[in-house]
Amino acid sequence: MFQQILSLMVNIAEQTGLAQIWWGNIFMIFVGAILVYLALYRKYEPFLLLGIGFSCIVANVPGSDLTQPGGLFYYAYQGVELVIIPPLIFLGVGAMTDFGPMIANPSLMILGAAAHLGIFIALIGAKALGFTLAEAGAIGIIGGADGPMAIFVTMKLAPHLLPQIAVAAYSYMALMPLIQPPIMKLLTSPAERQIVMVQSRKVSRLEKICFPFVMAIIVNLLLPPVAPLITMLMLGNMLREVLLVDRLASTAANDLMNVITITLTVAVGSTMEADKFLNIKTLQIIVLGLIAFIGGTASGVICAKIMNWFSGGKINPLIGSAGIASVPIAARVSHVVGLQENPYNFLIMHAMGPNLAGVFGTAISGGIMLALIGVK
Amino acid sequence: MTVPDTMEGAYILSVIDFLLSFVIIWGMSLVLYIFPYLNKLGHLDDSKLRGGH
Repeated sequence: MFQQILSLMVNIAEQTGLAQIWWGNIFMIFVGAILVYLALYRKYEPFLLLGIGFSCIVANVPGSDLTQPGGLFYYAYQGVELVIIPPLIFLGVGAMTDFGPMIANPSLMILGAAAHLGIFIALIGAKALGFTLAEAGAIGIIGGADGPMAIFVTMKLAPHLLPQIAVAAYSYMALMPLIQPPIMKLLTSPAERQIVMVQSRKVSRLEKICFPFVMAIIVNLLLPPVAPLITMLMLGNMLREVLLVDRLASTAANDLMNVITITLTVAVGSTMEADKFLNIKTLQIIVLGLIAFIGGTASGVICAKIMNWFSGGKINPLIGSAGIASVPIAARVSHVVGLQENPYNFLIMHAMGPNLAGVFGTAISGGIMLALIGVK
Repeated sequence: MTVPDTMEGAYILSVIDFLLSFVIIWGMSLVLYIFPYLNKLGHLDDSKLRGGH
C-alpha cells in the first residue's frame, strides 16, 4: 500500500510544472518580471507592458495549458494569427485620434517617410545575417514602430517569426522614451532644440470629415496589401469626426480598444515561451529591431534639420523623430525633449503631424514591401 | 515579377520602397494642401451635428 501511495505521489509530481521546468523558463520569467517592473516603477507604457510581462511569466510556468489549444491565451493568440486584432486596434486608434495636426501642416508629412530609413537598414542587416528576404522584410518593419502593422506584415511575410517581432516592436515602442532622446540630442544643437514653431491653422469640421473618406480611397487604390488596416483606421476616425454617432466612436475608442489591448498583450506575452523564444535568431531580431528604431529616429531628425534649413529656421528638428509612428509615444518624446531645453516650448501638436504621417509611412512601406516580395 | 531573394534583392527592395514611400507621402500631402478649399463649399456646425440636425 505504501508503494502504491508513493507511486501515486510521484505520478502527481510528474504532472506538475516542477518536473518540466528548465533554466530557459526561469530566464523568461525574469524577462517578464523586468517588463512588469518597467511598467510599474518606470511607468513605461503600462497598458502594454503589464499584460505582456504577466502573460510571459505565466507562459513560462510549465504545466499550464493556457497557451495550448483549449487555453484562453491560445485563443487570444488566434486573434493575432488570423489578423483580426490588428485591424480592430486600428479602428480604435482611428476613433481616438484627431488628424487635425496632420491636415493643418501637410508639409511635415514627409517626415513620416523620412523616419523609416531604419526599416531598410534592418532589412539589409537581416538579409546579410542569412534571413530570407521575406523574413528580413518582416524584421525591418519593426522599424516602422507600429505594433499592429508589424503583426500584419509579419503574418503575411514570415508568420513563424511573429513572437520575436511582436515582442521587439512593442517593447521598443514602450522603451522609446529611453531610446530616442540620446539620438535626438546627439544630432541637434541646443539652439535648434529651442526653436519655437508657429501655431498651425484651425482645421474645420468639414475637412476632418472628408479626410477619412479621401485617405481610405487613396490607400485602397494605391496600397491594397495594407488597405484593411488603414481602412479600419479611417472608419474609426470617420465615426469620431461626424459627431453624430458618439456612442459608436466612444465604444471603438474605449471599451473595444481596452478589450483588444488586453487580448493583444496576453497574446504577445504568451508567445514568449522559452523553448520557442530562446535562440540566436531572437537575439538577432532584437538587435536588428533596435538598430531599426535608432536608424529611423536619426533619419527623421536629419530630414527635419534639412527642412529647418530650407524654411529659414522655422522647424524644430526634434519633431523629425516623431515621424517614426508609434502614436503618440514618439510625439510625446519630441515634446519632452523640447521642454527640457525650453520649458515654454510646447512641441506636442507640431510633433503629432509627422507622428500621424508616420502611421501612413509605415503602411506605405509595408504595402510596397508586400507588393515587391509578391505577397497578397 | 518579384524581387530576387538575394543581397542585391534586399538593396533593390530598400531603394524602391524608400523612394516610393516619399513619393506617395508627398502625393498625400499634396491632396491635403487642397483641403482648405473644401471650406468654400460650406460650413458644418458642430452643435447641429451633435444634435442630429
